[in-house]
Amino acid sequence: MLFLAKAALGLGGTIVLAGAYTFHEGVIRVDVDESREGGSHVHMWVPAAAVPMAMHIIPKRHFMYASEHGRDFVPLAHAIVKELKKFPDAELIEVDDGTQHVRIRTHEGKLQIDETEPGQDVHLLIPLSTLEDVTSQLEANAPSA
Amino acid sequence: MTSLTPSFCKKAALITAAAVVLSPIGAWAQTTTDKTSSSAATASAKGDRWLHVRVISTDGKGETVRVNVPLELAEKVLPAINHDRLHDGKVKIDCAHVNDVDLRALAEAIRNSKDGEYVTVQGNDNDVRVAKQSNYLIVHVLDKSKSKKQQVEIKVPMKVVDALFSAGKDELDLVAALHALSAQGDTELVSVKDQENTVRVWLDSKNVTE
Repeated sequence: MLFLAKAALGLGGTIVLAGAYTFHEGVIRVDVDESREGGSHVHMWVPAAAVPMAMHIIPKRHFMYASEHGRDFVPLAHAIVKELKKFPDAELIEVDDGTQHVRIRTHEGKLQIDETEPGQDVHLLIPLSTLEDVTSQLEANAPSA
Repeated sequence: MTSLTPSFCKKAALITAAAVVLSPIGAWAQTTTDKTSSSAATASAKGDRWLHVRVISTDGKGETVRVNVPLELAEKVLPAINHDRLHDGKVKIDCAHVNDVDLRALAEAIRNSKDGEYVTVQGNDNDVRVAKQSNYLIVHVLDKSKSKKQQVEIKVPMKVVDALFSAGKDELDLVAALHALSAQGDTELVSVKDQENTVRVWLDSKNVTE
């Protein structure tokens, strides 16, 4: 029984440690709500640290494909995210046309994108550090010109 | 079972203690980020310059666009864009479009000249005024041709104009211009007004639109 208790302690400690590490970068949050009849409601919370970890598992060829298709976009996105981390919270872009409202801002180290239009609400929250990890890995795996 | 209970309780207490000890790791990581963000906010209040663009349409829908960009970010990001005529933060000018006018020499001539009005055109369709005032290049256009009168005012510090033309003959150095702009005080750069739209581009140290 003592052995079981020790094993439980080890397991519990590992779970706590893994949990603390998994959530240390915050969470990626995706909320999609369609208010029409039969519309979908997606609410997803993903530990941000899981994304770079998952990227280590994905076969390189998939990265090459993504990097090749985003050859022009990835270095730009990486540069923007890297710089955005240095600045305080800001409303970067806000577009309002009466019915549709789009807002892109940084908030507490996260990139927040909100889009509201009749019948649909989309909210996205991604830690900037995660975006930096992803874009730098895509850049690192980009095929040489 | 009875004899195991105290031991189990000890272990449970130990696990709880471990959880309590380890839980701040996550919180610490977040706090570190927050501290960084907070210190960045202070730095921003001290010296960051923000470029603001605001477009307000007064037509039926009442569209509004607000863009706030830190100048330093634009300075760092521009060289990463390599598309069409834009490379390494410089944009190539098509000589054909400037009718063989040496823009660099023109800018230098204006810089070395005294304040005054250089171009004044008053026509049936347009009124145009180009002037230099207190180290600012001012361009004022009033379009009277359309039913909706449009007024454009551009006010650019001469240092920015110089920086813009500091690259080669056929290119404009946008990064240098942004760098020069960041040294300027709060200023309104572009203002376009007509009956339906108001466009404003200005520079200040606030990270929010008014």
